Amino acid sequence: MIFALFLREFQSKFNDKFGLSWAFIEPFIFIAALSFIRGLISGDDVHSIPLFIFMMIGLVGLQTLTTNLQSVSTSIRRNKPLYAFRQVQPLAAVVTAGFVELSIKTGVIALLALSLYLLGDGFEIHDPLLLITLYILLWLFSVSIGLVFGIALAFVPEVDKIKSMLTRPLMFISCVFFSLQDLPEYLWPYFTWNPLVHFNELARYACFESYGHKGVSFSFVVEITIVFLFLSLSLYHITWKKVLSR
Amino acid sequence: MIKLENVTKSYPSKMGPQYIFKNLNFDFPTENNVAILGKNGAGKSTLFRMLAKSEYPDKGRVLTNKAMSWPVALQTGVHPQMTGRENTRFIGRINNVASLPEYEEKVQAFAELDNRFDLPVRTYSSGMRAKFVFACCMNIDFDIYLIDEATSVGDPLFRKKARASLKEKSETAGVIMVSHELDQIREFCTSTVIIDDGKLSYYADLEEGIDVYTQDAANKKSLK
Repeated sequence: MIFALFLREFQSKFNDKFGLSWAFIEPFIFIAALSFIRGLISGDDVHSIPLFIFMMIGLVGLQTLTTNLQSVSTSIRRNKPLYAFRQVQPLAAVVTAGFVELSIKTGVIALLALSLYLLGDGFEIHDPLLLITLYILLWLFSVSIGLVFGIALAFVPEVDKIKSMLTRPLMFISCVFFSLQDLPEYLWPYFTWNPLVHFNELARYACFESYGHKGVSFSFVVEITIVFLFLSLSLYHITWKKVLSR
Repeated sequence: MIKLENVTKSYPSKMGPQYIFKNLNFDFPTENNVAILGKNGAGKSTLFRMLAKSEYPDKGRVLTNKAMSWPVALQTGVHPQMTGRENTRFIGRINNVASLPEYEEKVQAFAELDNRFDLPVRTYSSGMRAKFVFACCMNIDFDIYLIDEATSVGDPLFRKKARASLKEKSETAGVIMVSHELDQIREFCTSTVIIDDGKLSYYADLEEGIDVYTQDAANKKSLK
């Protein structure tokens, strides 16, 4: 069933003039261009990581969170006509949106990795397992938050405005183009509540051991993901029948 | 038979919840073709969607062991950007059709779409859409077909065909239909359920039901 929805989602994306390729190319260009510009402005290395890669990791993290949030939270509403089929429940739409985003983002990461390799900037990932775990956790985390927002949206459409207000500053507070280590230590508590900071910094550490993991913790990442996953699923459980009649 | 047990359904509004049904107990007959009659806002579509399990009651249960179609209305589940064929495949997939290519062919033939089957649904006229949705539904084997005024848009020839296939189906399956047009109901149905003030009543004889329904409406008018 989810497979059917999955195909449907991809098919409807195909109808764009650019077709499916745009879904991959757009974030790729966005990430590559921003990283490149930042590289031009200053220096080559950030705490022993080439700046290009440093930016790339931060932006991939940010993009995974925001696009997932966007598409998952709107998926409940977007697929509304389909709930006429009793087999299709809102959660199916949520899971499908999540998987569509996951496959697109994985494609983008593959493209980025390929271009790094072709540019001769290839590097050896220090801890691939940690990196993959982080990626999957980040995905789960953003789908959960998306689900919470999606349910809220079904009841109060204005939540959408709050959501976009919340996601905008994420770019600047999530260590996307600076490192937590650039900041004086007394400022850290103002940043480390944000799980995305942990995701980004840990991902950099997973790629380059020398980068270190000061001020961030893996267990925080795991805990917050589990908390939000359960929160969103239980919210869903008590509201889904009401969501249908909205 | 579809059993409604203690069904309460309301919609939230600015003036508090608007109850459509309160503690409704009813055995909905499905042996023959049933029309649901009622005034606008009486809860026809709500009842219809609850029968189809596209919506759930606030309290109580809707029980049945029959395979029911989705509520066939003009737009249900059809993506306007996708072609008729893609939509058909999607509907086939989520309903677990045994053979997708065979199903596609049947729908294409039944809906009389020819090569327009491969054009996006948004380019179809409303009549074509109605035919298409109806064809999608009729070519899957359900025990009960739920039809919401979908057939009224088709041309006379198509209506004839629709009626023939519904007749054929009614030997093995039941049809539940919502419509305002009495002619159409006479065409397709043999009995009726009338909704009034959140209560349901069943009339095994269609004409009797229609009489009650039209007289009721007339009486209420004269009272005012």
